[in-house]
Amino acid sequence: MRTFVAISLAALAGILLAAAPARAKDSKGKYKTVEAKHFDRAEGVELMPEFSDYLYAELRSRLVKTKLFDQVIGEGEVVEEADAPASVVITGTLTEYKKGNAVESRVIGFGTGKRSLKLQVTLVRRSDKKNLGSLAVRVKADPRWNEKILAVEAAKQVANEVKSSLEHEGS
Amino acid sequence: MGFPAPALRPLPTRGNLGHAAIFMVFPIFVLTFSMAVGSVWADDPKPKPDNTIHVALATPVTPQKFSRPVKFFVGDVIDRAGNPQPMLVTNARGGIFVDRLPVDIVRDALESSLKAADMLSPDAASADLILNVYLFHFGLAPSLADFFGKIELAVAVKDPKSGKSQQITARGTSISHVAVRKKSEMKDLETDFNGALSDAVRNLLRGQALHDAVMSATASPASAGN
Repeated sequence: MRTFVAISLAALAGILLAAAPARAKDSKGKYKTVEAKHFDRAEGVELMPEFSDYLYAELRSRLVKTKLFDQVIGEGEVVEEADAPASVVITGTLTEYKKGNAVESRVIGFGTGKRSLKLQVTLVRRSDKKNLGSLAVRVKADPRWNEKILAVEAAKQVANEVKSSLEHEGS
Repeated sequence: MGFPAPALRPLPTRGNLGHAAIFMVFPIFVLTFSMAVGSVWADDPKPKPDNTIHVALATPVTPQKFSRPVKFFVGDVIDRAGNPQPMLVTNARGGIFVDRLPVDIVRDALESSLKAADMLSPDAASADLILNVYLFHFGLAPSLADFFGKIELAVAVKDPKSGKSQQITARGTSISHVAVRKKSEMKDLETDFNGALSDAVRNLLRGQALHDAVMSATASPASAGN
């Protein structure tokens, strides 16, 4: 009985060890590069001037964490011809921003009076400009929070949506 | 029976107020003096080895390849940030400084990257193109709960033969979180600045804007005329 258990455990360990490199290879960047551009602002979106810079920087750091891309390149960088078919460009627009109301949020609750930001994000393949997906992202935050926290939340959501969209696109 | 009526006693108010005023003068004087001294200290922190960080590229940035070999010379690097204390990163915690002037840091980063790729010319005369760099921002951008390092450059790409010049921009950003201890905070700041510097140099040397500027500057007159 003991020998049987030992052999079973050894076999299981062997299978797991053999599968590990394959899994690691699969999870390695599926795309060569990704370029996130500064998001445009629709008319009437009144956010502080440095919001776009901060969102851009935060989005880049979040895209690195998705592990879907070998390289997260800066805006306007050139990509090798060979890498272009496996490269993605992310553009976006901040379409709507509501400041929220701290009093409503406190008194009524249930999500009322929250600060909200809507973003329209487009993913394009670099080589042939093929649309890989259009995402509508909505971020809500407490009205007492700083706008930069809203940028962090927005970047986090956009990175997650991009990851899920590109993973489904490939399958 | 019942409670006795409360007897009102006259208090010598003038004497008490006089004493109170005398006793209040000293604390107010001490408070004002300490605030004045504190503000002077806060405005003028000095660089010391224990509050200085070293900012440099960890690995040189590989510049993009051009259709024909191009040699660059890094000409003037001018600070246009208008910062009275260019080496001061932050006033917090007695001040944190960078070890060199921002213009020297940027020049060193550009030259080391170009040299590693054999694209650096030893002098302006033998260079195909001269890069004159204007530093518009080097340091922390306003942020609430973290360090937001930002470097912004405007670069004039000059053809020494024709004298024509084109301006391009490059920027690098990096975000790192604020640490509790000063030592950790300095380490985070160093990583943050190195990241932003690498990002800015990469954005310049691998940018489409430099590619277009080089292509237009090095295009033969015949092809440019067509």
